Amino acid sequence: MPDMIALSHPASGHPQQRQFNPYSENGGTILAISGADFSVIAGDTRQSEGYSIQTRYAPKVFRLTDKAVLAVNGFAADGNMFVKQVRQRLEWYRHAHAKDMPLRAIARLIQTMLYARRFFPYYVYNILGGIEEDGSGAVYSFDPVGSYERESCRAAGAAQSLVQPFLDNQIYFKNQVPQPGHPHPKHLPLTTVIQLVIDSFTSATERHIEVGDGLEMFVVLAKGSPLYGLENIDGVQEMTATNDGERLFVVRRNLKRD
Amino acid sequence: MNSLANRFSTTGPINELRRAKSVLEDDEFTDSAWGSEAGFGSLAKGVPNFTVPSVPDPSAFLRLHTDDYADPSCRIKIQHGTTTLAFRFQGGVIVAVDSRATAGSYVASGTVKKVIEINPYLLGTMAGGAADCQYWETYLGIHCRLHELRNHERISVSAASKYLSNLVYSYKGMGLSMGTMICGWDKTGPAVFYVDSDGTRLKGDIFSVGSGSTFAYGVLDQGYRWDLTDEEAQELGRRSIYAAGHRDAFSGNTCNLYHVKEDGWKFIGNYDISKLHYDGPGETPGAGYGYDVRVERSAAIAVQA
Amino acid sequence: MATAAVYSSPGFDFSNEIRNNFLASKGIPLPKATSTGTTIVGCIFEDGIILGADTRATEGPIVADKNCEKIHYITESIRCCGAGTAADTEFVTNLISSNMEMHALTHNRKPRVVTAMTMLKQYLFRYQGHVGAALVLGGVDATGPNLFTIAPHGSTDKLPYVTMGSGSLAAMAVFESGWRKGMSREEALTLVKSAISAGIFNDLGSGSNVDACIITANNTEMLRNVEMPNERVQKERTYVFPKGTTAWKKEEVRKLVVQEEVRLVGEAMDTD
Repeated sequence: MPDMIALSHPASGHPQQRQFNPYSENGGTILAISGADFSVIAGDTRQSEGYSIQTRYAPKVFRLTDKAVLAVNGFAADGNMFVKQVRQRLEWYRHAHAKDMPLRAIARLIQTMLYARRFFPYYVYNILGGIEEDGSGAVYSFDPVGSYERESCRAAGAAQSLVQPFLDNQIYFKNQVPQPGHPHPKHLPLTTVIQLVIDSFTSATERHIEVGDGLEMFVVLAKGSPLYGLENIDGVQEMTATNDGERLFVVRRNLKRD
Repeated sequence: MNSLANRFSTTGPINELRRAKSVLEDDEFTDSAWGSEAGFGSLAKGVPNFTVPSVPDPSAFLRLHTDDYADPSCRIKIQHGTTTLAFRFQGGVIVAVDSRATAGSYVASGTVKKVIEINPYLLGTMAGGAADCQYWETYLGIHCRLHELRNHERISVSAASKYLSNLVYSYKGMGLSMGTMICGWDKTGPAVFYVDSDGTRLKGDIFSVGSGSTFAYGVLDQGYRWDLTDEEAQELGRRSIYAAGHRDAFSGNTCNLYHVKEDGWKFIGNYDISKLHYDGPGETPGAGYGYDVRVERSAAIAVQA
Repeated sequence: MATAAVYSSPGFDFSNEIRNNFLASKGIPLPKATSTGTTIVGCIFEDGIILGADTRATEGPIVADKNCEKIHYITESIRCCGAGTAADTEFVTNLISSNMEMHALTHNRKPRVVTAMTMLKQYLFRYQGHVGAALVLGGVDATGPNLFTIAPHGSTDKLPYVTMGSGSLAAMAVFESGWRKGMSREEALTLVKSAISAGIFNDLGSGSNVDACIITANNTEMLRNVEMPNERVQKERTYVFPKGTTAWKKEEVRKLVVQEEVRLVGEAMDTD
């Protein structure tokens, strides 16, 4: 744990209290959308501070299990540490129960881990995506101190306010009256969702200076679900590690680097 | 319960947390973090362990980084802004809430569940810090269940609310923020208790909490009678949340309505507030709470002309 | 005899300064001006001056304009790149451009770059940094090629190669390693382009395209968008909404053309 920084003033000799500020903001945006039997979790790969790019490739989206993916945004140091701790707890669970923790349990675990730091918060916004035990796609979003909610789509981070209204319109069909006889579909197909994710990030890159460089997009498919043409997408790579049935893919794309 | 009284009466929470920290040092995870307690591992020993920054005044530290009222540019935005209400009447308790979460001027979510289902007979409402309410009311649920197992009877609403009240009081000054109503049905009949993070605990018939509460009270007070029918009471709750959602920028989106009766709570429905404005709760177009009553006059003039 | 009831000093009105500082301390921030987090450069080559700029304008972290012009006209053979508050750079260069034209007409000579530099620094110094313009001024006059930077408080530098704005360090790194005395036009243009590119790619405040301006004794060439390394990519979907997508409550059709019927009353005039 970082300690209080107390410096003694060289001239006066009086001890001087420094402002304790362990937080920073590292830009970037994350986003997750769930469908009937899949879940897509994406994030850009730029990490910045102020006007400087610290790195063009710092992953913000992490595989937890074959059916759970966690995207972390905000202060990168807190985020990386947090993911490390969540993974440790999931590893312990695997040793105790010889299976992966169910998604809704991971969500609750994340809540208690965040709330344990209620008085010294992790400066991170988490989005958890994956497949529930009933085979449905799910997205859980968290605030820095652990309040959470299951949703079907959520954007967080620097370009949150640019991307979320777009998703509200295209996923929830907000402010769109259906054509007579053509009600809005309850779930969108995977190919549409992937296209919406890519367009969200290319647009956010154009208008937000902290978003860019690369896009990393994880796709989780439920047990026995078809590939929905995922195999034809450019640069797709399978990440599945177990034979439990859920399959995990990652798609990487370049974004503008300016 | 002795350990509870002991814990909450002897020392201030800061010293308490300091002591917990000195015992645990860097070892944040104990044996309880293993195995099936994984979810609520930090609670398994009964005392939740919290990490505090090692600064002279931890609550000032927290306020510095999370209080978006004093400093809009602060980094960690905690969700605020709400309208919630609950009232007791002849047919039980009506609980109605909105579903908007705001972080500064940004509508962070329009689908928040602000009624927390503690158990089949108890409901808690959420106003203030979303995480504080969610976490502590879930924690309360655990202890209500333990009470049932120990005493072979359900906890009274009064006892449950007092448990929560004592709990948050022990953290007074540390920056918790919650204004909640614990609603339920016990041996005494329907009951509503208001509990907040200052330590206030009030028994009453009608409460509304949150930034939109004044608007909700306006409708609630003028339409309230003890002998409201179930349908009338539900309509009153819905209409009050609509009024708050309409006039308060920090409330809105949808209304969640619950009715607590002798056999436990029942979820009545989720109502889109702008749909209530134009079309009302049913499917009849033109039966809106707000739109048609405002344009009727101009329509009449148009007919005259 | 009687003085004006309210004395108003020339220049800026600071009467709200104390109030605004008080409000700021209470957590009510002042509205932010559009600032061009920018990379602007200039360098001397054998025949004259090359100025360069990126084309991104920002409002905080949001890109306000993806292709703005930061190389401003002063006279035919003097140009000025602006960084800092967008409105200030625009107005200060316009004002000085205007004064330079008056100067030329008054004295019947082509004005010099130092003249523009002096006008700019005196103006900026007068306003003590409240006019937030950081400038790179370059041109060719009777004395030959001249290149200056002018900081918002009015201090100036005269150097063979200069950079300014948030991307100045990235661009200067390129100049420090690549600039030589007496470069050819092509060499210098390549260097300016790579200096601006360094800013575009490594500084978040700079982006989009490269603008350059080559000024020689008898010609000025404005190379607008000389490089476009950040073209918009094709979107995956097309976003069109069918008619009827927006909800409506009432329909009313009005005739905008007033119809007038002319009827002849009485007998027709005798026009014989």
